Amino acid sequence: MSSVTLQSVEKSFGQLTILKAIDLDIEDGEFLVLLGPSGCGKSTTMRMIAGLETISSGTLMMGGKDVTNTHPRERNVAMVFQNYALYPHMTVAENIGYPLKVAKASKVDRVQKVEEAAGKVDLLPYLARYPRDLSGGQRQRVALARALVRDPAVFLLDEPLSNLDAKLRVAMRAEIKHLQRSLGVTMIYVTHDQIEAMTLADRVVLLSDGEIQQVGTPDQIYDDPDNLFVAGFIGSPSMNFVSGQATGGTFSTEKVTGLKAPIDGMLTLGFRAEDVVLAEDGRFRGTVYEVEPTGEATYVVLQMDKDRVILRCDKKYRPELGVELHFDIADSQALFFSAETGKRIR
Amino acid sequence: MTRSFIRSPLMTFVFWLVLSFMTLFPVWWMFLVSVRQRVDLFGTPSFLLDVSRMTWGNYQAVLSNPTFQKYMINSLIVSTSNAVLVSVLGLLAAYAMSRYKLVGKDNIFFWVLTNRMAPPAVFLLPLFLMFTLWFRVGDWSLFDTRLGLVLLYCVFNLPFAFWLLQGIVDGIPRELDEAAYVDGASTFTVLTTIIFPLAKPGLAVTAILTWVFAWNEYLFASTLTSVDARTITTGLAEFVTVTGTNWGQLAAVAMLTLLPAALVLALVQRHIVAGLTFGAVKG
Repeated sequence: MSSVTLQSVEKSFGQLTILKAIDLDIEDGEFLVLLGPSGCGKSTTMRMIAGLETISSGTLMMGGKDVTNTHPRERNVAMVFQNYALYPHMTVAENIGYPLKVAKASKVDRVQKVEEAAGKVDLLPYLARYPRDLSGGQRQRVALARALVRDPAVFLLDEPLSNLDAKLRVAMRAEIKHLQRSLGVTMIYVTHDQIEAMTLADRVVLLSDGEIQQVGTPDQIYDDPDNLFVAGFIGSPSMNFVSGQATGGTFSTEKVTGLKAPIDGMLTLGFRAEDVVLAEDGRFRGTVYEVEPTGEATYVVLQMDKDRVILRCDKKYRPELGVELHFDIADSQALFFSAETGKRIR
Repeated sequence: MTRSFIRSPLMTFVFWLVLSFMTLFPVWWMFLVSVRQRVDLFGTPSFLLDVSRMTWGNYQAVLSNPTFQKYMINSLIVSTSNAVLVSVLGLLAAYAMSRYKLVGKDNIFFWVLTNRMAPPAVFLLPLFLMFTLWFRVGDWSLFDTRLGLVLLYCVFNLPFAFWLLQGIVDGIPRELDEAAYVDGASTFTVLTTIIFPLAKPGLAVTAILTWVFAWNEYLFASTLTSVDARTITTGLAEFVTVTGTNWGQLAAVAMLTLLPAALVLALVQRHIVAGLTFGAVKG
């Protein structure tokens, strides 16, 4: 097992810099998730850690050793690819045992370790099969077992669940988390799915446009976002935003009155759908635009002047369209962002 | 004629029957000549085989002829060496072009293919000079050597192999190489354990077609060899002499020349189809 440190790591293609000065410390045994929308640079970051992409500038350390310019085979990392990258001409056992074979491990040792790794992911009955004879979930487990079979310093998983159906994804998510916990390995996981990130990670790194937006535990990222991007990206439904002006320490718009603000000026107020309480004397009001029952709750979409917000209400609640509703939130759950920079104002 | 009539099973059958006849009739005719006695060759032509007058004498004469045996061995060595060399070099070149960012990559590819654009006869004179004068060490020169022919056929077969194998290697996902690298493999290990096994259908096609090319080649073999490295195709011409043509033995040699190529193709034609369509659709 090993820690990983990225110091001012950058990636450029000609004039275009796609990763800008990434600084990151990943602790030994940590489950770190790189999260962000498509094209944000999360996969490139992982590929640089694996050694599959060159690092344009900066330093990459693994276990205290500089591996910036080291070939992938000398980094002692294991990687699970999005499409699993199983060798189609090899059986499951040969696939799992491939890292041991290239390391010239003895056949006895190889057989024993392959069975051990296959056992951890319930693949023992499938060792003689070829990848084409397996389901998506089984292939995924072969890729995991191939990563587990040796004792790598770091596990890298590049969107490993994105090709699975929703039900299997939930099951595999739990399996991966359980595996990481039980083995105590350092795992770096790339995903664009925030639910995956929140459920799996010890810490989440949220990337956008090649820059780290925030690093923190899932709770910190969700409850205490650093900027509008993080606040809007994390959570389903997304955080509600209302633009307005704060004067004399009070934020107000045509539909919001008397909300305590940290500074004066043009601000964006953010609050979560589930933090809302319907109240006749609430400081917020809006007209019902749409009602979305989901079974476990009813989401009411309100039009508040230019802004549209979503409230999470009781599952039996069915307001009529066009009716004006009043609601409120606790002051502690009102987050303010600079309308100009998007940065959080605490 | 309606479209449905043209596409009817009967018309399809007739079409393939005519095509098969056009392809196979010359071979049948050659076989007839090879098993007929000399006196029957100039009688009334017949498409049918008269088993009572059939003879294997031409084959016996040819197979017991030491010169013919030497030609056969030369052809086998030259064709096989050429096929192996071309397949290996072609795979390495295709891998480099497929996986690495090389300066002027597209131009290299086009330049290599231009080798196949001019008629081979254009190269004959410079090649003759190269073989007899330039590539010469003391009394030894490339002229009339098997090595010379193998290298020469490589020049003409490599572009084809390169073109065919690049498509094959491009069809092998790059992620497999990357997975192998992360698993601890070197580039050589990736080539031997991942690329080579997956490119096998393409390699089979390359090896077979280049083998057949070298086996059938006549122009260079007849010009750039004289005694030691003569091949079976040039040997065929030796049956045509100023005093006459030994049609029976000529046909027997032609049949024997045809046999290995036909056998190889028949055995591996399934691989050829797989090789030519490999990578056409994403697996």
